[in-house]
Amino acid sequence: MIVIEDLHKRYKTEHGPGKWVLRGIDLTIPRHVNVGLIGANGAGKSTLLRIIGGIDHPNKGRVERRCRLSWPMGQGGLEPTLTGRQNAKFVCRVHGHQGDLLDRLSFVRDFSELGEAFDEPLNTYSSGMRSRLQFALSLAFDFDIYISDEVTAAGDAAFRKKAAAAFKAMAGRAGLIMVAHDENTLRQFCQAAVFLYQGKAHWFDAIGEAFKAYKDTISA
Amino acid sequence: MSQAANMPQTRDPLAVTVSVWQAIFLREALDRLFDMRAAWFWLLAEPVCHIGFMTFVFAVIRVRTVGNADVVIWIIVGMLAFFLFRRTAVQVTYAVDSNRPLFTYRQVKPFDPAIARAVLEAFLMAIISAVILLTVALLGHAAFPDDALLVMQAVFGLWLFGFGYGLVASVLMELVPEMEHVLKILMMPLYIISGVIWPLASVPQPYRDILMINPIAHGLEFVRLGFLPYYHAVPEISMVYLYAWATVSVFLGLMLYRRFAVWLVMK
Repeated sequence: MIVIEDLHKRYKTEHGPGKWVLRGIDLTIPRHVNVGLIGANGAGKSTLLRIIGGIDHPNKGRVERRCRLSWPMGQGGLEPTLTGRQNAKFVCRVHGHQGDLLDRLSFVRDFSELGEAFDEPLNTYSSGMRSRLQFALSLAFDFDIYISDEVTAAGDAAFRKKAAAAFKAMAGRAGLIMVAHDENTLRQFCQAAVFLYQGKAHWFDAIGEAFKAYKDTISA
Repeated sequence: MSQAANMPQTRDPLAVTVSVWQAIFLREALDRLFDMRAAWFWLLAEPVCHIGFMTFVFAVIRVRTVGNADVVIWIIVGMLAFFLFRRTAVQVTYAVDSNRPLFTYRQVKPFDPAIARAVLEAFLMAIISAVILLTVALLGHAAFPDDALLVMQAVFGLWLFGFGYGLVASVLMELVPEMEHVLKILMMPLYIISGVIWPLASVPQPYRDILMINPIAHGLEFVRLGFLPYYHAVPEISMVYLYAWATVSVFLGLMLYRRFAVWLVMK
């Protein structure tokens, strides 16, 4: 379960503090619900995900994580000068998997289908290879709730199919908080939704209603 | 994954920190040793060339002894101690900056790369020092310390001060970006005024007291004294003074990290 209380966030700009992105978010996200984050560009979806993930900090308010929570997957977290294997090792060690390091590494290597490129530095990777590595990494650990910020499964049709199946299985087993630009992706994986509008969060038990509310604000 | 059920629910905070230190230490070591072609070679070659050249200039062209001590050992030991301070300070200063992608994992705190880098630098300098000292020992100089405990004490003080300096400097640079230039200007004359290539004992009073405000000068003289028991060190040196600077800078650095940790990683 994740409890968010009275969360406020604004960024530093060249001219002092910027405008409030999030102003007073109160949310309780249960453990076994898949939640989509919906909102216009710049509504603060990624900001909220980063704060929930503990890698950015609110100006006011707090987040309580009462479960094992993943890092915000899909955005960064990889060191370009190191190889895929070295990056994967780092992530395994940070998450306390020194003991079964080799199992995790072989999983990441096999799932990402990188082959020999797994031992090449990341800055030689194509964007597709990079996202395949990120995708494999995100599936290599057990969390209670996963945070997915535009995790995309790039690659050929066979890989995309395998990735979608694995992602679906993960979403069925654990909770999921996700941001995606594609409405169909969100509908496919999430039952509930949080709609971010003017710095406030609105919870919807059914994702369809959230999209309806979102579209009302656009047309209005 | 099926083993989810028998995995511990949450990890002990100390266990998390230790595993993060381990991971960053190994990552940093990779980066430092294999970043570019033969990076490990240049890590050793840089101080060897520098020390070799200076030793040649001093021992062959200028003098044989400094303050009753073998000038070769005097130069080598002083430089190694100074490099330990400077490399630790510079590495720690840029620790947060060069590890930005890793803060995606919330287990990684800004302090973690700083401590990992400082320890790594101590390791590398220990190896480099051993190689250089063994080489000159084979060339017939008395390169083994007379008072090894004194050497360790002084070297640890210099390392600790380098670590503290780096912590403080990195926060200052984050708060006031212009500080980077000021600190670089400050670093440059440090090599000269710390008495790496000339004996501070030769400076008359009251000017020597001004030079001895610099704690690094105290550290260097103690290291030399540990290697060369008959060396005429500066009479005003004090181990307490060096450790006072080291401890205060480390605690000030830790306090700044505690207070501004959020600033260091927040966008």
